[in-house]
Amino acid sequence: MTTPGGAPDGIGTVQDSEDVDGWQRLHPLSPLLRGGVVLIAVLGYAVSRLVDSVLSSLDPTAEPDTGADYELAWTSHPLLALGALVVVIAAVAAVGWVSWRFSRFRVAAGQVELRTGVLFRQHRQVRLERVQAVETTRPLLARLVGLSQVVVQSAGGSDSHLTLAFLGADRAEEVRAHLLELAGRSDEAARPGMPPAAEHDPGVPVGATPRAPAVEPPPLVVVPNGRLFVATILHGSTIVLGVILLGAAVTVGVAEAGLAVLAGAPALLPVVFGLGVSRVKELLVHGNFSIARTGTALRVRHGLTDLRVSTVPVHRVQAVEVLQPLWWRPWGWWRVRVNVAGVHGGDNDDDETVMLPVGTADEALTVLAALGAHPEDPVLLEALHGAGGEHGWVGPPRVARWLDPWSWRRTGYALAEHAVYLRTGRFTRRTVVVPHARIQSLGLAQGPLQQRLGLASARLVSTPGPVGPDVPHLAQADAEELLELVGRRAREARRLAGHPLAPGHAPLVDFPQNDPRT
Amino acid sequence: MPETPPPAVTADPGAPSGPVTLRGGDLPWRTVAPQLATVRLITLAVVLAVPLLATVVVALLVTPWVWLGTLGLVLLGAWGAWLISRQVSAISWVELDEELVIRKGRLFRSLVSVPYGRLQYVDIQSGPLARAFGIASCEIHTASPESGGSLPGLPTEEAEALRARLAARGETQRAGL
Repeated sequence: MTTPGGAPDGIGTVQDSEDVDGWQRLHPLSPLLRGGVVLIAVLGYAVSRLVDSVLSSLDPTAEPDTGADYELAWTSHPLLALGALVVVIAAVAAVGWVSWRFSRFRVAAGQVELRTGVLFRQHRQVRLERVQAVETTRPLLARLVGLSQVVVQSAGGSDSHLTLAFLGADRAEEVRAHLLELAGRSDEAARPGMPPAAEHDPGVPVGATPRAPAVEPPPLVVVPNGRLFVATILHGSTIVLGVILLGAAVTVGVAEAGLAVLAGAPALLPVVFGLGVSRVKELLVHGNFSIARTGTALRVRHGLTDLRVSTVPVHRVQAVEVLQPLWWRPWGWWRVRVNVAGVHGGDNDDDETVMLPVGTADEALTVLAALGAHPEDPVLLEALHGAGGEHGWVGPPRVARWLDPWSWRRTGYALAEHAVYLRTGRFTRRTVVVPHARIQSLGLAQGPLQQRLGLASARLVSTPGPVGPDVPHLAQADAEELLELVGRRAREARRLAGHPLAPGHAPLVDFPQNDPRT
Repeated sequence: MPETPPPAVTADPGAPSGPVTLRGGDLPWRTVAPQLATVRLITLAVVLAVPLLATVVVALLVTPWVWLGTLGLVLLGAWGAWLISRQVSAISWVELDEELVIRKGRLFRSLVSVPYGRLQYVDIQSGPLARAFGIASCEIHTASPESGGSLPGLPTEEAEALRARLAARGETQRAGL
């Protein structure tokens, strides 16, 4: 076996224990620590039992262990027990050693790479400019032995993190600093003149200094709590419940049968309770809502009881959805939600994905404009209010009514200069805006029924979040054309974005002043 | 305001072109290694072997009715084998100028077109069985977990070469997040 001693013992430099290609090893204790508390507990228990029996059998005068009856016979012989102990330790050490030998990482050629696994091998690489953040964490066990792990976060969610577990604490800090320095450099290059994102930005790369705005700008939109209250009550579930209760009340008045319905009411209690909780929570989260623009970010304040402020850098917004449940239509209310890179669509991320909990059409357009869309664009109005068949919109053919009898007419997509507009939903109207420059990838899907009808669904993949940009049930040829047309626009947008000096990180849809064509 | 025009992306002169279609098409679609079917068949056989053996033993020792279970398992295995051969032959992929396109499935068809510039990272994975047959799978990750494609059953050298190519193109066509 080659000894790692060939590497220079430059303790404290990033280069220590490096081999020819720049591959570095993790700390030798890593496999043991990765095994976690359970492994250590099991091992510790086994070893202590073995040691115990070795000692007790070596000492004939000692009182027999009270637990001796339960001991397996073979452990009573000191040599056997000792042998077993040695074998166990050797096995663990061997497995750990092999695992350690096969886990290597390197920082080279603009990327971090990690190779792990003996039987199931994995090779993961993350480009430095893709790095969203680098942090060092110290789980309890690691802390006890003075080790840290370095987590390199990229935008694809926790699955996509590259974890260097474990390194000595100093070493981890060094690696982190080194990575931050490298990543920061490429980040700077990619984003000239972009002020550092504000402090709440979860993915602020690397040492960007938080910067508070000197003057609090006036809010773009303030949502009155009264309107929010009405809008919160006007929810599908509460309306269904109201109808049931009303029906029960009426039948009680009319006939005996109503009593039976009333008797069943307690069964509804948990449902009512759950519903109440969800409505109240909605009210608490979105109360006192206001949104303001600060430089290149939107500052959202909300919370009825505890005020929360979150800052969403506009360049991180990947897709915008404007939606209107049927019950809101008489009032002309809309909700605006966004997908933000680095924020995932869990329940608790509501505060960073809702840009307007309920607002009039004008307010929704104001927010859209702040996000960079063009509210004067007629396509946007068609996307919001259109019922189907407008010029420039491509939707499902008539045969799609078998799969989507209600909404097939309204469903469709339209290409604008900077963005793709999608709309779906006849009752709950949904409009999605995805800038060409923010399309991650494109997909088509076709199930057996669609295959029979000659249909296919298209999907403009965005980052994780509440907005899912889909165009269901297009004619297959139209879907393939979408792939071609949208693909071409996305390609052009990427070329602009890929250029280090181009406004690649311009807000959602390019602002006119950032548009090189104007 | 930047004055420099964005760089023209250099296209291979011999790069394939043509419409991307859900089935058929003029593009030079490539299929995956047939060893993938073998690997999946072996996995299926291993999974089914234990219950199959159990039913045989019970049928011999207890009651012949259990032969029905054996028959069921055999049919299941046959159906699985048929499905595997259909699925594996349905996977095809093509490297275009700026995107990697992967098609899968027959009954439920899917197609994903991943721009090189959007790649976050690429994983190469191979289990012991796959390695014995010299194949590996190439997992492509973008900023969205749902848009990643996986390309199973590539010969190991080809998977490595693909990874290197993807990394290189991801670098030259890099486009923000």
